[in-house]
Amino acid sequence: MSRSRLWPVHLVLAIGAAAMVAPFFWEFLTSVQSFGESTRIPPTFVPSWEWSNYGRVFDSLPFGRQFLNTVLMTAGRTLAQLVFCALAGYAFARLRFPGRGALFVVFLSVLMVPSQLFLIPQYQIVSSLGWLNTLAALIVPGMFSAFGTFLLRQFFLGLPNDIEEAARIDGANPLRIFWHVMLPLARPGLLALGILTVLWSWNDLMWPLVVNTSPESMTLSAGLATLQGEHLTEYPVLMAGSLMATLPVIVIFVVAQKHLIQGIAFTGSK
Amino acid sequence: MLRRRVLAGLFTAALLATAGCSGSGDSGGDVTLTYGVWDKNQVPAMEKIATEFTKAHPTVKVKVELTPNKEYWTKLQTAVTGGSAPDVFWMNAPRFGLYASSGVLAPMDSKADLSKYPKSLVDTYNWQGRQYALPKDFDTIGLWYNKALFDAAGVKYPDETWTWETLTEAAKKLTDPAKGQFGIAAPAYSQENYYNTIFQSGGTVVSADRKKSGYEDPATVKGLQFWVDLINRHKVSPTVKQMSDTEPTQLFTSGKVAMMYGGSWEAVGFAKDDALKGKIDVAVLPRGDKRAVVIHGLGNVVYAKSKHPKEALEFATFLGSEQAHRIQAETGTVIPAYEGTQATWVGAMPQYQLKAFLDELPYAVAYPISKNTAGWADQERKLLPLAWDGSRDLPGVAKELATAMNAALAKE
Amino acid sequence: MTATESRVADAVTRAPGWLARLGGSGGAGRRPRGDWPWAYLMIAPTGLGLAVFYLWPVVQTVYFSFTEWGAFGGHTWVGFANYTTLFQDPAVGQALRNTFVYSGLVLLGVPLSIVLAVLLNTPKLRGVSVYRTLYFLPVVTMPAAVAMLWRWIYNGDYGLLNYGLSLFGVDGPYWVSDGRVVLYAMAVVGVWTLIGYNAVIFLAGLQGIPQHYYEAAAIDGAGRVRQFFSITLPLLSPSIFFVTVLTVIGSLQMFDLIYMMMDRGNPALTDNRTIVYLFYEAAFVDNRRGYAACIAVVLLAVILTLTVVQFRLQKKWVHYE
Repeated sequence: MSRSRLWPVHLVLAIGAAAMVAPFFWEFLTSVQSFGESTRIPPTFVPSWEWSNYGRVFDSLPFGRQFLNTVLMTAGRTLAQLVFCALAGYAFARLRFPGRGALFVVFLSVLMVPSQLFLIPQYQIVSSLGWLNTLAALIVPGMFSAFGTFLLRQFFLGLPNDIEEAARIDGANPLRIFWHVMLPLARPGLLALGILTVLWSWNDLMWPLVVNTSPESMTLSAGLATLQGEHLTEYPVLMAGSLMATLPVIVIFVVAQKHLIQGIAFTGSK
Repeated sequence: MLRRRVLAGLFTAALLATAGCSGSGDSGGDVTLTYGVWDKNQVPAMEKIATEFTKAHPTVKVKVELTPNKEYWTKLQTAVTGGSAPDVFWMNAPRFGLYASSGVLAPMDSKADLSKYPKSLVDTYNWQGRQYALPKDFDTIGLWYNKALFDAAGVKYPDETWTWETLTEAAKKLTDPAKGQFGIAAPAYSQENYYNTIFQSGGTVVSADRKKSGYEDPATVKGLQFWVDLINRHKVSPTVKQMSDTEPTQLFTSGKVAMMYGGSWEAVGFAKDDALKGKIDVAVLPRGDKRAVVIHGLGNVVYAKSKHPKEALEFATFLGSEQAHRIQAETGTVIPAYEGTQATWVGAMPQYQLKAFLDELPYAVAYPISKNTAGWADQERKLLPLAWDGSRDLPGVAKELATAMNAALAKE
Repeated sequence: MTATESRVADAVTRAPGWLARLGGSGGAGRRPRGDWPWAYLMIAPTGLGLAVFYLWPVVQTVYFSFTEWGAFGGHTWVGFANYTTLFQDPAVGQALRNTFVYSGLVLLGVPLSIVLAVLLNTPKLRGVSVYRTLYFLPVVTMPAAVAMLWRWIYNGDYGLLNYGLSLFGVDGPYWVSDGRVVLYAMAVVGVWTLIGYNAVIFLAGLQGIPQHYYEAAAIDGAGRVRQFFSITLPLLSPSIFFVTVLTVIGSLQMFDLIYMMMDRGNPALTDNRTIVYLFYEAAFVDNRRGYAACIAVVLLAVILTLTVVQFRLQKKWVHYE
């Protein structure tokens, strides 16, 4: 099909893309408005270009420290999930053992309850371990994921059997097969899970807020939430902070999306 | 492979590093108290007070812990259930009953002079004969108005002579449907709107013994009718749906309504808004059958399971001192409760006649609460808007509300 | 394993077999049973972690559903009292209805994602990675910003949507504050958030369909639409199943949208709450933790049933190799 006849496709995609980008444009617009302009109805489309809002984010929050916390928490959760979910996912996909089906259903059931349910029990465990206000509290509960297990199980089921068979005949145990044979093949799937976990960890709000009391140990999302005053929220500063906080994740996605498509391809389809 | 090892090493190192920095850093004989607050705009003042306290008590440090307002109570409940709430924290009237009656708070048997605070506030934080908090600040409700819109319509500014009738007449002159402009915003907000008019009609919200609902009282219904009429009979206010889509304060600052009943807390936000310069001011509330205004204020309470009860009590007492209240007044964010310190707040924003909020003190009525206020406050929020938007008649709604509220009160 | 268990196990283990290449699902049948110590070892980290942090709370919740709680701890056994209250509470039935309506509407977004993926798969389309990034942005955007934007779009007096409608002479309603339309308004936002993510999954699925299938069909005289229905859809059905299961599970738990976009003073709130919103109210506003646990257990049962049903039904329409 020649390029010139693709313009209807471009048109539809462009209109949809505009709708998708709209909130970013909104965030940016608000971030350079003055306080008065941000609360005006109807909204102000020509802002007064208050770039100072970005500087004020650093006055209102220990932004650098919270950024570091967010990075460490995200890295910790993601690395752990990659290892643990791959192990479990492989076992569910390729190994035969009693209770496999029932156990998998039990794993899945974790996804079927409201997440607020976990707030108080997890808080009590973390508190009794003395982990409040530490990275351990942010990382540890997030190291285990039923979704990640499900995802990687899909992935392993889609890989060919022959290499495994060969290794088996050579006498290797399942763990060795997993580590040396399957894991390298699983790179796209791991990448997919990695990116998804990064995205979700980065924006996790409720847990970091509840488990941390000092701004220095909070993550960016929790820190930004504290910018909301009781009767007065300076939305321009809040939006400026959010934009800066989201930028790294967007960069990660742009860089990794090619691998991501391949990764999800192995889990969601044939 | 190497990359994986490096990352794993980084991760472990980070875990170890931060594990070392956990906890409240008690070293030697030093004590660190935690102080739970929910308003970012007041944090500078709170930290200054904390510093002053440490000057007087060198072995005690205070860490201010900020949680956004929306999540404060969820987090506090989680922490209390888990056994580790802040040593001292903010409390408000609606939640006080629950916390005090559940043994979460330590009584404040301090030597503070209670006569220095508004009596209604002191009483609010008294539970079964014992005092659990010293008042921190207070707020009352005033009539905010847009001078520019008044000038354009040729209406005289509100003053202390105003009554419900004067207000309604002025609102009619200030309403121009063609321009999408209304005289006044009449939302179904309890503290800002109908509690005040209920008290002005001689009605009550909850009986003095906190066992019976006041919504069966015709005087109470009269206070509610005032607002229902503004929307449905005189048509000088936006509808409930309009005010739910767009907050009344936003409508006011955008010049879509000429008047609104608003708290003293609005002053700070208005002052920040450049577009409002010189355009707005405030007056005392118009009177109904009599003068009344609802007063509310926060208190500083001590956690019953605090690991440092003695120091926590000392800090909470200091928070109620004249010195601490003066520091609060300087930032202009809230009106301090200590007698004589309010003048600083009034002077912080001379462009508004903030004195009006203080003038209302003699006839201020305490914010109505019971042991579990949340149990029936929700009913108010669900039922009253039905009368506000005209889909049901007010007497019927009030009766249903009274029944539901009595049922909730009986369970306490 | 009992007969039921093995049937469930069969259904569940065959599920992701859709991505099995020629050669069947995992070849697990030929694996010696001596594997099981290894299997348990490999499942142990995730399993133990889930058990401690997630499954134990779920078990606790089931227990708590038979108790009533004080605000800060201390509970008393009340047997089935909570369940009786729940089944007689009209608010619960209404919330379930609202939740199902919302879920159904959001599922309508799945075909939309498929179409989008097909478009993003058009051969020789320039800038496809740019489009992909743009469509994925809503997943990444700060929820507060999303809420602010949509509240403005939906604003009854000054919003973009009603402004657009007014150009056609239509007087739009108060989308967020009018009980008759608010669920539809929320569903649009829900679809909007998911559409890019789902489209990426479908896009990947499309990449896996061999091009020569289409070429052969074209030679046989089938038009583009015919090709879509007889080649694309069947071969994409495993992905559609995966996305549908997850969308059902997720949409039945909708809470954040209501929490962020509807204030407590919103007149439409009472009649349009979802079941998880009821749970939140019971747990954190009304301090009825036992009743809240009861709601959660009922929701778990509903979702579990629907999921198992979907797994069973897949034999009828999901095309595995």
